[in-house]
Amino acid sequence: MHPINWVIVAVYLVYVVVDGIRKSKDTDTISGYFTANRSLSWWVVGLSVMATQLSAITMIGTPGQGATDGIRFVQLYFGLPLAMVILGVTLVPLLHGSGVYTAYEYLERRFDPKTRSLTAFLFLLSRGMSVGTIMAAPAVVFSAIFGVPLLWSVAVIGVPTVAYTMVGGVQAVAWADVKQMVLIVVALVAIMLVLLVQMPVNPDEALRIAGATGRLRAFDFSFTVNEQYTFWSGVIGGTFLMLSYFGTDQSQVQRYLAARSVDQAKSSLLMSAYWKIPLQALVLLVGVGIFVYYQFVRPPLLYNPAQEVAVVAERGAAYEALQASYGEAFALREAAARSVADAGGGAAAASAMETFRAREADVQALRTEALAMAEEVTGADSNDVNYVTLAFVLRELPIGLAGLFIAGVIAAAMSSIAAELNALATTSVIDLYRRWLRPEATDAHYLAVSRGATVLWGIFACVVATYAATLGSLIEVVNRFGSFFYGSILGVFLLAMVPRAGGWGAFLGLIAGMTVVGFVNFGTDVAYLWQNVIGAVVVVAVGVAVGGGQGRTVTPEAG
Amino acid sequence: MHSDETSREAAQAKFRRTLIQVLIVQVVALALLGFLQLHYNR
Repeated sequence: MHPINWVIVAVYLVYVVVDGIRKSKDTDTISGYFTANRSLSWWVVGLSVMATQLSAITMIGTPGQGATDGIRFVQLYFGLPLAMVILGVTLVPLLHGSGVYTAYEYLERRFDPKTRSLTAFLFLLSRGMSVGTIMAAPAVVFSAIFGVPLLWSVAVIGVPTVAYTMVGGVQAVAWADVKQMVLIVVALVAIMLVLLVQMPVNPDEALRIAGATGRLRAFDFSFTVNEQYTFWSGVIGGTFLMLSYFGTDQSQVQRYLAARSVDQAKSSLLMSAYWKIPLQALVLLVGVGIFVYYQFVRPPLLYNPAQEVAVVAERGAAYEALQASYGEAFALREAAARSVADAGGGAAAASAMETFRAREADVQALRTEALAMAEEVTGADSNDVNYVTLAFVLRELPIGLAGLFIAGVIAAAMSSIAAELNALATTSVIDLYRRWLRPEATDAHYLAVSRGATVLWGIFACVVATYAATLGSLIEVVNRFGSFFYGSILGVFLLAMVPRAGGWGAFLGLIAGMTVVGFVNFGTDVAYLWQNVIGAVVVVAVGVAVGGGQGRTVTPEAG
Repeated sequence: MHSDETSREAAQAKFRRTLIQVLIVQVVALALLGFLQLHYNR
């Protein structure tokens, strides 16, 4: 990469740490450290929520998915606006109004200590692991592309993030998120503009080429519970997933607990409802744009350069022969793509598309052969969907913009990781340490323990990231891991609104929900989005059946 | 007391307005995606 690009990345890294530490004022109490003394404006919280949810996986994996699979992934987010509205009128007033530090603390007030501790433990377990995979996604790709040891990539992302999170708490995290969100959007707009300017065909022709391979199919109305992304799984399963993520996951709840008032907290969530689908569609369309661009500019046969080097070293002659065939197949496909662009409508267009699809299948067959070769040689998963975007960025973006995009990817990773570390430390200290080990210590003591917990979780995340290298499509891994617990934990919070439900009902319901989801996950082909629905429904059903409540819910304070 | 009620009503009105804007943005976004699928996906 050009030195100017490296300078941009370095300037960003230094700035984010210095600025984060500058934002550490008023963090000498745990209220300041964990909730910014409930002082943040709705737009700061809103951007922080969005930056937290938008990880490096979104920046590099999602356009890659758009390039290889099209825009149907956007259906996952169809339930998000509805979920935000539901949370705005249910859980947000309940949690913010209760004056708690964590979502799980509320469960003790409503149910009992065991329900709080179990949900807090499940959060620590699932998020502790997933923060490692969130860090691994860009680290693995950077390591392969820039030829540096994985540990270095992990350290470049992990060390600054841990530093500003540890020093500045939620205030530093939220303000860093604001700047990181701006950088992410600028980077995405930059890549979109470069694609529009450099595309060898006009936008209408580009869309025709993309459409010929089915990449513009955003809606799939089939009702099959085994299919991952359909309209119905997005609207129903997606709503439950988003309710769970934004309503019960401490990494998100902690953002809006830091808002000035309940109304400001509600408004911050509506910002995500506003922008998420358009933003996600834009990211996927960037990927579709890369796919069309590569119809006219020959892309690499293998996008992962580290695997390509290994294949050339071990199977040089075979790989060279494959490259020659790939060159011929690419030339034929390019001609077919031009025919689609020139054909307009009618029978000629149908015939041109048919030919193009056949040529595209030939190219994909050669790619499949190369990927199989890479897998045989390296013994590692050769799925290179997460490398497509950065390959394009480094080959095609002008000097400066490539650095900006890389900084954007690091920013996306840092914003998600910082929120997770902050939430993991908060839950460890408030729900476990203060609740069970040292209930009567001073604020200064809890603050010191919180900073120590942030560092320990940071080290743990770095270790997990270093060993998560062999995971396949990281997008699905992160979402799937959450699904084991997400639906069931949401069920407990739904149960909290049912006066009839009591502590034992919630506890047994949670265990029943997770057991059923475990069986469904391992024993059937039901798509993971539906597992959230199943988990939540089982918890509520069991909780209501067991009962034991005294007809009460915790009433939030006004404000 | 009266000012509390007034500010709460104002906040609720703002929430409703934002909800309508959210709805419009989603409808436009989904309509554009639908157009791409119907017009270009073959």
